[in-house]
Amino acid sequence: MGVFEFMAGKKKPTPGEVAKERLKVVLAHDRLKLNPELLEIIREEILSVVSRRLAIDENQVQVNLSHEGGAEKLLANMPIRREKVTFEWDPPAYTPNNNVIHGTVHVDDSIDDLG
Amino acid sequence: MDSRVITITSGKGGVGKTTTTANLGTALAMQGKKVVVLDGDIGLRNLDAVLGLENRIVYDLVDVVEGQCRLRQALIKDKRQPELYLLPAAQTRDKNAVNSIQMEQLCQQLRQEFDFVLIDSPAGIEQGFRNAIVGANEIVIVANPEMASVRDADRIIGLVEAAGKPEPRLILNRLRPEMVKRGDMMDVTDVLEVLGIELLGVIPEDEAIIVATNRGEPAVYDRRTRSGRGFMHASQRILGENIPLEDVVESTSLLERLRRLMGFGSALNEKPPVRSQTS
Repeated sequence: MGVFEFMAGKKKPTPGEVAKERLKVVLAHDRLKLNPELLEIIREEILSVVSRRLAIDENQVQVNLSHEGGAEKLLANMPIRREKVTFEWDPPAYTPNNNVIHGTVHVDDSIDDLG
Repeated sequence: MDSRVITITSGKGGVGKTTTTANLGTALAMQGKKVVVLDGDIGLRNLDAVLGLENRIVYDLVDVVEGQCRLRQALIKDKRQPELYLLPAAQTRDKNAVNSIQMEQLCQQLRQEFDFVLIDSPAGIEQGFRNAIVGANEIVIVANPEMASVRDADRIIGLVEAAGKPEPRLILNRLRPEMVKRGDMMDVTDVLEVLGIELLGVIPEDEAIIVATNRGEPAVYDRRTRSGRGFMHASQRILGENIPLEDVVESTSLLERLRRLMGFGSALNEKPPVRSQTS
């Protein structure tokens, strides 16, 4: 964990690079006094909000703190499940205007009717 | 007199605060400044030994604060620099023997006599550290290029900021150029990027420091040592001179330079850096 930059590439980081990346993460936590439990709560909350609109691969969701260019950043990595990118219309609490599209929106490889 | 009170601190122990204080103090005195170095590590005094003044101590900082002696009586004159003085810490008392108000008053007193007051802070973030920074108008943080030290340095930066002091400057100590070159150690730029503070100097790891401490003569006297040069340059930067950073990583070994001259250099450089066995 913490060496995101190198996860994608085949290049293995040097110990110096590992130290730097680990430090960035640990310092981001230290500075904000953010503990792993709180981060987990944030992760769950973001996931629950985004899941209402997008099918997210829950096992691959990563929410991490990072330190870039002198500022703290919260990075959420939420891969969308390709097979069924489906948007279920969640009716709002108020009565929508006439010009708002009603019904279910499917965004799939094989596009269904947009009723 | 617009004298400067500079506290040398680190959070983590053993990174070179005392060595840095002794060397910067000596270097500033060598450049004609009137300097007092103050050992803030009550109960664990060492600055006296690094300066080779350990057997001249009669009174100490706590004696001064408690009014058992006058300030002048406790100040020990350096062996070689006529304008360098040491105010030693008490050895048989604990860190809480002095409070912040007393320490601030002491700094005020010293400012009237000296151009520079250098305070060697104890490790940690407790009372001893708070005492060390209370009277300071500049902070120098000493860190080594490794995880624990840089992490603690970051914590100190936060505390210094919270205390309303100006942004500290960094002395990156004990850098091992060969390890940096191999990719096994963080480089100067890595640490600066992570900490985000101004650099005051880089001191390479050097056996000469141990030799110097054994003798009780700060390394800065010997310009041939790379650590001595590093400290001298840092002191010149304190005095406002624009001294470019010596490239300790490239100017490493004679052997390396010979190789490069003989044409093996390019082949060596193309080699990928040594990777860790486990990530």
